[in-house]
Amino acid sequence: MERRSSFVSLKNIGKRYGQGPWVLDDLSCEIDQGEFVSLIGPSGCGKSTLLKLIASLSPPSKGEIEIEGSPSEMAREHMAFIFQEATLLPWLNVWRNIEVPLRLKGLPQEERNQVSQKLLKLIRLEHVREHYPRQLSGGMKMRVSLARALALSPHILLMDEPFGALDEMTRNHLNEELLALREVEGWTAFFVTHSVAEAVFLSSRVLILGVGVAGVHEDIAINLPYPRSAETRESEQYQLLVREVSRKLRAVESL
Amino acid sequence: MSFYRKIGLPLITGLFLIGAWYGFVLWTNAPSWKFPLLHEVLMAGYRERTVLFEGALETLSGAFFGFSSAVGLGFCFSVMMAASVSFRRAFYPYVLALQMIPVIVLAPVCVLYFGTSVLSVTAIAFLISFFPIVANTTQGLISTDQNLVDLFKMCNASRIQEVALLRVPYALPHFLTGMRISATLAPIGAIAGEFYAGSAGGAGGLGFLAIVYNARSQVAELYATGFIACFCGFIFVSVVLVLNWWLLHKWHDSIERKDL
Ligand SMILES: Nc1ncnc2c1ncn2[C@@H]1O[C@H](COP(=O)(O)OP(=O)(O)O)[C@@H](O)[C@H]1O
Ligand SMILES: [Mg+2]
Repeated sequence: MERRSSFVSLKNIGKRYGQGPWVLDDLSCEIDQGEFVSLIGPSGCGKSTLLKLIASLSPPSKGEIEIEGSPSEMAREHMAFIFQEATLLPWLNVWRNIEVPLRLKGLPQEERNQVSQKLLKLIRLEHVREHYPRQLSGGMKMRVSLARALALSPHILLMDEPFGALDEMTRNHLNEELLALREVEGWTAFFVTHSVAEAVFLSSRVLILGVGVAGVHEDIAINLPYPRSAETRESEQYQLLVREVSRKLRAVESL
Repeated sequence: MSFYRKIGLPLITGLFLIGAWYGFVLWTNAPSWKFPLLHEVLMAGYRERTVLFEGALETLSGAFFGFSSAVGLGFCFSVMMAASVSFRRAFYPYVLALQMIPVIVLAPVCVLYFGTSVLSVTAIAFLISFFPIVANTTQGLISTDQNLVDLFKMCNASRIQEVALLRVPYALPHFLTGMRISATLAPIGAIAGEFYAGSAGGAGGLGFLAIVYNARSQVAELYATGFIACFCGFIFVSVVLVLNWWLLHKWHDSIERKDL
């Protein structure tokens, strides 16, 4: 895949809801194209809020967000959001769910079929293409949600605790699949999680945020080589990093 | 087992109640004109079959026109309320309040304005069906999952796409709940309307027949009218239930999957 000179630039952003307290304050950060950034921190520290700001689903109260050199609302069509729940449309079958973004964009049926066929294959769910969401397991739903997010070939993928509700085994599998997809598609990712192990496994960079802490509390590079696999979890380097991130997370929690 | 539960049990209840009624009337020697027995009710119904049949048709058509126009207009009204916040702010409280109007107020007022005609019966059935549909549908349209709305925003969906492809299907179960409530109310409303509107220029619907039989102390015929009215209501509700099943059975949790 060709290198795009895309990057995300957060400049002194701050956010408060109405007259409430500052959820995020004075946060600056530069993210290069192709990075996999995990956001981790205690509940209520503004992780979801930060993703919504980047997605321009909610405007920042101060500061600026630039994506690929333009304001974030201009870049929306190059971004996809994955929520904690799979948020599939229950009245559409798997196949129709995947093509929702294509339909909204007004692409012709033929092209839609092509893309959704390809994605179904990618997530290995061709056998349930006619199933409705309620007939799927939690992990399958999440894979459909992922496929839908990839339908428009986004440059940036924003994920808010996407695997938080799944059991550990399913989550590990999906983590590996996610990285495999990334090898092919090359998007830049923002990933919110509660799990340090998951954050370290996936990311090239982990940002720790704190409640009432201005800016990014810790910015930790994860220098494990890609592609990563199940074996990566057994390596000493991985486990050292997990310990380091856990320690720093505890430090910010006790502030 | 399931046959016994589904058909046997209600059958036993019914037979028991009929038996108790017969036992009570025969035991206490209650006057039979006042406490008609089931076979007398059936005979009365058979004697009056033409009048009752025409009455039922008249009631059903009044209820049907009122109900179906309420479904159509109610749906459009709800979509408008979902599409415009100011429109909703202006009207929604009144919709919630007007749901509470009792038929015995609504009916004479309609007769006052539309005269003793089929039109006022239809108007009553309309008004009584309209508010539950609007209240429920609007509730569904505006309570659409915020994450789904955000998903559509991320896809740069237009307002029309958001309403047509997201909010309307999301509200469909609510719409059908509203229709189910209205389907029970519409025939009752029509009958209450006829009660006030009289023979409504035609043969007279079930509501009018009820007045006549009551005035003549034909209690068995009154009971027969009651049974027919139940049956009319049952037709209405059944149609909505079938529609409900047909639209929702594939995907909605309210309809159980039989996977055993
Ligand atoms: N829409 C909103 N309106 C008002 N306050 C909000 C809203 N969304 C989030 N908040 C507040 O902002 C803070 C951060 O929330 P959030 O970003 O969801 O945290 P996290 O995802 O890290 O748990 C919380 O105190 C929360 O109550
Ligand atoms: Mg959150």
